[in-house]
Amino acid sequence: MTSKNSFLASMKENNKRRLWVWVIAVLAFVLALPVITAFGLNSVSGSNKWIWEAVDAATAQELIHNKLADAMTSVLGFSGIIFFFSSVVAVVSGIQGFSYLYSRKKIDFYMGMPVKRKKRFLVVWLNGILLYVIPYVAGIVICLLIGAGNGAVDKGVVYTAFMSFVVHFCVYLGIYHLAILALMMTGNIVVTGFGFLVFCLYETIVRYMVVGYEQEFFDYFPYFGSSDITAKLSPFGLYGELATAFELKNTIDIKYLLFLLLFVLVVGGLSYFCYLKRPAEAAGKAMTFEITKPFIKILITVPVALVAGLIAFDRVNMDFNGAQEGLGWVVFFIVLAVVLGSALIQVIYEFDIKGALHKKRHILISGALTALIFMAFKQDLFGYDDYIPAPDKIESIVFSPENYEQGNSSVYFDEDGRFLSVNGYAEKNMYLTNTDALCELIETSMDSYNAMRQWWEENPEIVDESGSRWSYVTVMYRLKSGRQVNRALWVDVEDERTGELLDEIMGSEEFKRGYMIGTSDNLNRVLTNEDYKVAATYGNTVYMEKMSDAETREFLDIYQRDLKLANFTNVKNSVPVGIINLGITQELPWSVYMGASGIARSTRGWDVSLNIYPFYEESVSYLKEHGYYMDSQIKLEDIASIQVANDNSEAARKLIEKQQGEQADASVDAPAAVNTKSAWASSEYDSGMSTRVFADYSEEEDIKKIVDCICPQELVTQDWDMGTGLEVDYRVTIYFKADSEITKTYGASATYGFSEGQVPEFVREDTAYKE
Amino acid sequence: MIEIRNVTKSFDKIKAVDDVSVSIKENTVFGLIGTNGAGKSTVLRMVAGVLEPELGEIAIDGLPVFDNMEAKKKIYFIADEPYFFANSNACDMQKYLTSIYPEFAVEDFYNYLVNFGLDKKRKINTYSKGMKKQLALICGVCSNAKYLLCDETFDGLDPVMRQGIKSIFASEIERRGLTPVIASHNLRELEDICDHVGLLHKGGVLLSKDLEDMKCNIQKIQCVFKTTDDEAKAIKALDIMKNEKRGSLNVLTVRGNKAEILAVFATVNTIFFEALPLSLEEIFISETEVVGYDVKKLILG
Repeated sequence: MTSKNSFLASMKENNKRRLWVWVIAVLAFVLALPVITAFGLNSVSGSNKWIWEAVDAATAQELIHNKLADAMTSVLGFSGIIFFFSSVVAVVSGIQGFSYLYSRKKIDFYMGMPVKRKKRFLVVWLNGILLYVIPYVAGIVICLLIGAGNGAVDKGVVYTAFMSFVVHFCVYLGIYHLAILALMMTGNIVVTGFGFLVFCLYETIVRYMVVGYEQEFFDYFPYFGSSDITAKLSPFGLYGELATAFELKNTIDIKYLLFLLLFVLVVGGLSYFCYLKRPAEAAGKAMTFEITKPFIKILITVPVALVAGLIAFDRVNMDFNGAQEGLGWVVFFIVLAVVLGSALIQVIYEFDIKGALHKKRHILISGALTALIFMAFKQDLFGYDDYIPAPDKIESIVFSPENYEQGNSSVYFDEDGRFLSVNGYAEKNMYLTNTDALCELIETSMDSYNAMRQWWEENPEIVDESGSRWSYVTVMYRLKSGRQVNRALWVDVEDERTGELLDEIMGSEEFKRGYMIGTSDNLNRVLTNEDYKVAATYGNTVYMEKMSDAETREFLDIYQRDLKLANFTNVKNSVPVGIINLGITQELPWSVYMGASGIARSTRGWDVSLNIYPFYEESVSYLKEHGYYMDSQIKLEDIASIQVANDNSEAARKLIEKQQGEQADASVDAPAAVNTKSAWASSEYDSGMSTRVFADYSEEEDIKKIVDCICPQELVTQDWDMGTGLEVDYRVTIYFKADSEITKTYGASATYGFSEGQVPEFVREDTAYKE
Repeated sequence: MIEIRNVTKSFDKIKAVDDVSVSIKENTVFGLIGTNGAGKSTVLRMVAGVLEPELGEIAIDGLPVFDNMEAKKKIYFIADEPYFFANSNACDMQKYLTSIYPEFAVEDFYNYLVNFGLDKKRKINTYSKGMKKQLALICGVCSNAKYLLCDETFDGLDPVMRQGIKSIFASEIERRGLTPVIASHNLRELEDICDHVGLLHKGGVLLSKDLEDMKCNIQKIQCVFKTTDDEAKAIKALDIMKNEKRGSLNVLTVRGNKAEILAVFATVNTIFFEALPLSLEEIFISETEVVGYDVKKLILG
């Protein structure tokens, strides 16, 4: 009983010492939060009065309730406001509670008292939690009462507020413990502040450094799934994950919550351990534990120096345009950062600028470790670029080409209609098990690409056009161990054996299910769900015709059967006969506004484009049968005139070479080795050397000859397979007749191109460049 | 009893206390004397359980003190700069200390405040330095802790206050066996308060003795011997700690009780003889000079 009384008395006394922290917490949660809630509700009510006049009372009540409930959850849910308040109170409370440890006077007083160290910790720690929980809960109750008075509270709001409380409380504990740990390891409030910042930013900096060096030095570094630098071992990062998961699933992701709780326990345990071990004489010093000093110094200096190197990389790439010259600067910056970083930390340790170069041994160790890590990346000591897992260790593989068969505007989405990147979609849906073919393809592609790179590095002065045949793929290995490893890959799409392997891989059902949105269950689900509206059109992007809902669904079934016929080679060697475009929209029930024609709901929409190839025989027959098939890519009767522009790139190249030769003769100081590739690239902007020639055609006979050879540019976009496309030098502009239907539906002109090898001879002659 | 056995404590590789062993008996006023940096505060902070010794042991009535509540309940530590809660008054301190020391004498506390002229409602941060020290002493005395550790607490107190504190100590020693341990760098401050004195220097104990024993065992004699034979005979018979000769006048500091010394002088012829009272300061100077220290520099400044 005495012990309990004494504990409560200690709690009471400790609270008296923390009144100002209580005031901050009360102002934040009991005053600011309800005021923000009331303002929000008032604003929603005021701006939606029109709903009462637009619809009947019952509907209006429901709509307004939904909007008010939204306003409530935006404050009481996973809002930035509560997260901000929680973070501030956690840091202030954690540091203020144990700040007596900074002062020898206070330590003499408190530690001279007959109070157990454990008990003192418990009292301060518990008060730090109470001064958060009590105002927060009171704030929630007040907000809910305000909400209830405005008809804004329902089960969903209470549920969200509760879940948000659980997560915010755990995040509070995480930040609170982190602040206490920073304090326990330091003896001065300024150094505690630095320490807390280091705890918060360290993982992000290390991740940034690792990703940066991987990007810089590894040929097969993939951009997808490898560039995330968000700290995972931090209450801030975990809060982000939990908030996103709640937004998506309206429930707490237990995995992240457990992870956060583990973080809370580990950091809390460490804080307590440090508290027990903390000597009283640490008050006022920079660091509490002498033994931690060199480790902390080195652990900070090494990644900071490497990050300095990364920043230098960016600068030298820009300024010096040469890896060898640049490397010297990078090394210089790294060495400078090691010395300055070490010196700065030593100055903080000693609170004396004269101590900057003390402990030179630490500078040497930091330098050696930095050099080791730098070389590990530069020389790829861990075999990042050579990594291909053994086929027997692979569960499945994702093979996701960049920009392949995505029509002219396809988007990917998940089962709930949320947008996904193509790689995100493939990661979720593609499970390739033909690992033998994949591993062979990956191995041969890497060998060829490495050989090409080496040759290129050895012959920098030679213009190599073979680069254009390499296509980028993101490969994700799902290993049997449960690990996933992502790598980039460049595939030689012109290589014969590669073509065979790609046929096997990309012709498979598994690939199409995981890559082609046209075969997606998600698409089928959307098409059969009445919440979604689908507007389908078929055509060649210039001429488009609407399809009925029934026809669309019927046609898509046929398309999905035909898609089985597609493989790498036949898609590469074909030009689409047309494209079916699906405009999908969904009304959002929770979002209403006053539109031009009365009350309306917000919508979200997706555009899916599917190429139709000539070898999709069933689809082509269906299109012909229903009158959608186009025999010609343009209607002759719509054309007023045609203008053809020929860039004459070959002539331009020769001209530039000639001009450079003259310049070299004229000036002995001119650089001897000029990268002709970059010079050619810049020639387009040189108005004085333009080789572009225009020719206009308005005679019916000429037009007829041209029309047989052209396709809309949007229909034949050259993509990943680098297959049949349009002549790159020629641009054909069709000017439509002013009174034609196409002018009204599409516009006054359209851009076409000549199919490869089909430029009429007279056009070739008319547009040839003559000096 | 407070037993300090072979205690060592370092700060940043500097030994503040080096192998110190001292016993502090109950019912006495123990003075811990030493220059700045001698290790007085460190010893007291270790005795109070604030610092943990690296080596050695400190026991309060046989109990180890560090983080041991049973031992710490017997101690009240007044640091050289006593801490009071921000914006608090004497009543606030009393309430806090009552929750920590169950036997806190609340009535005595307020009586002492009145006697010392301290306003219980006035904010402590408006008190003078001396008033704060008085309040800290009142808190310590009223805590009813057996051992009161005072670090430089008496420095700067006026003689009236010192006398007041001294009488409180005397009555508390008699009433409940209070044992004040007072650290100071100034011997003169403690002369009239302490029963037993320990001298610290450079982290070690130079001596630790009962004041009365020291006073009884050292005598100061001024005399002029009739002949040099008389002088030689007397010097041979006495345990002389120090002999200053000013012309024919001998000033002798002699170890031994007064009767024994007078008996020696009775056997020799002197022209002039006088036994002088010895101050604590002189006793210390004599004692420490014997072991090779110039105490004047150490404690008198």
